[in-house]
Amino acid sequence: MQKVTPILETKNLTVHRNSVAVVENATFTINRGDYVGIVGPNGGGKTSLLSTLLGFLPHTQGSIRLFDADIAKFSSWQKIAYISQQATNFEEQFPLTVRELVSLGCIKKGMLGRRFTQKDWQTVDSNLEFMGLSDVAYRRIGQLSGGQKQRMFVAKALVHNPELILLDEPIVGVDSNAQEKFYKKLSDLNVERNITILIVTHDLASVFCRMSKVMCVNKTVELAGITQELDANLLLKRAYGDHFHFVYHKHDCEGVFASEH
Amino acid sequence: MQVNIDLFNPFGYQFFQNALIGGIIVSVVCGLVGLFLILKKEAMLGDGLSHTAFGGIALGLLLGINPLIAALGVSILAVFTISYMRRKKIAPSDSAVAVMLALGFSTGLIVISIAGGFNVDLFSYLFGSILTISFSDLLLVSVLSTFVLLFIGLFHRELLSIVFDEETSRIMGIPTTRLTILFDLLIAVTIVLSIKVIGTILVVALLVIPGLCALKLNLSFKKTLLATTLFSALSTTTGIMLSAIFNIVTAGLIVFMLVTAFLITLLYKKLD
Repeated sequence: MQKVTPILETKNLTVHRNSVAVVENATFTINRGDYVGIVGPNGGGKTSLLSTLLGFLPHTQGSIRLFDADIAKFSSWQKIAYISQQATNFEEQFPLTVRELVSLGCIKKGMLGRRFTQKDWQTVDSNLEFMGLSDVAYRRIGQLSGGQKQRMFVAKALVHNPELILLDEPIVGVDSNAQEKFYKKLSDLNVERNITILIVTHDLASVFCRMSKVMCVNKTVELAGITQELDANLLLKRAYGDHFHFVYHKHDCEGVFASEH
Repeated sequence: MQVNIDLFNPFGYQFFQNALIGGIIVSVVCGLVGLFLILKKEAMLGDGLSHTAFGGIALGLLLGINPLIAALGVSILAVFTISYMRRKKIAPSDSAVAVMLALGFSTGLIVISIAGGFNVDLFSYLFGSILTISFSDLLLVSVLSTFVLLFIGLFHRELLSIVFDEETSRIMGIPTTRLTILFDLLIAVTIVLSIKVIGTILVVALLVIPGLCALKLNLSFKKTLLATTLFSALSTTTGIMLSAIFNIVTAGLIVFMLVTAFLITLLYKKLD
């Protein structure tokens, strides 16, 4: 049986924005290798939670431990990659090729201003290949499709070998086929490279078909393993309200996985 | 300055050589710094700082301090104030720039009024006087430009990363605040450098137009840097040469050459 190693733990975490509590008393543990879908209604505190876990937003109560260190003392940020909600909203004219953008992931803390080595470029190229972007490596980033842009940001994140990737609604405005390709790649990363993934999404079907855990956020935070026994409807009702009804059968996932074959 | 030179051998004159060397160095530095400003969507910061520098020049002339040093001091003060106003959310970036621009320029006007009228020296700082650039000016320009170019050469990837996505850059361990402050300082230095070449009023042209031309070509970042350098150097060289030959004010001709380059780029894009 695989050893369970906690890499992200919160205890009684409370976060305020403009004096209003957006996350309250959140206690949860994310283990190495978890693939977690963060869901919840708009304005429920998902992005605030992610921002707090990344140290962008201070917490008002409780504690956060990253890789066994208190967040205030944590310095190994290179173990974590973050893809923001706005990542793909760049200027179409931005003068970067896909390869150049991905290479920015080679910048290392404490080694600023260094020249990139042959090895760096090999890492860039292998990750472009892994994300299926070798063909467009020399294209300008503004010329990519929505799905390709997302995979490009994951390739950039992978360049510095992260152990944890946090993504904030990365599939907004992308067609379902591209979404599927994207989730498939994340699954591969999770399984093949044992990278822990936390992803904020509204795509409940993909969460329940692909991921190992679901985190429901609506001021309160509830983390549950996705198993046959899990009453998904009941869990989601607690986050979205009683009016919410989610029907999920295992056979729904067959459609989700169909595009892989 | 109005000069008559031998049309067939302009390079035989020391002042012309100084002007060309100084002009090319400054325009390249301006173009490269300006490219990052455009990408940061803060091109008007350059304009604001150059107008603020006018107040420093006037103060320098009044107090008998080297006007360029006084302009550098005032520009640095202005850039830190703008940065503070932005960081503390006292005012958004463009409004903070507008406040400092107005304050700097009005300081200059008040100082002129106290000094008892318009000074001829001040005019050359407003519109540049590259053809009168001395060897010591050239030395100062070269040393400061070397610092700016070294900084950009070393940290262009980090700057690019910050410009593209500041939050992610911070997570990656890039000291975003420190690098941004250093870059802001370089903008102040660059503007002071360009006062001799093009003057405080038109410096924004050297900052913005070469980068804009290069961006229109849809190149990779490396090639965009190269194209910016070429647009800057060629426009300035042509402007200085035409100015020396036809006895027309240099700053105006440099801007005209830059705008011509921009129009040619647009035309090229349209035909492409």
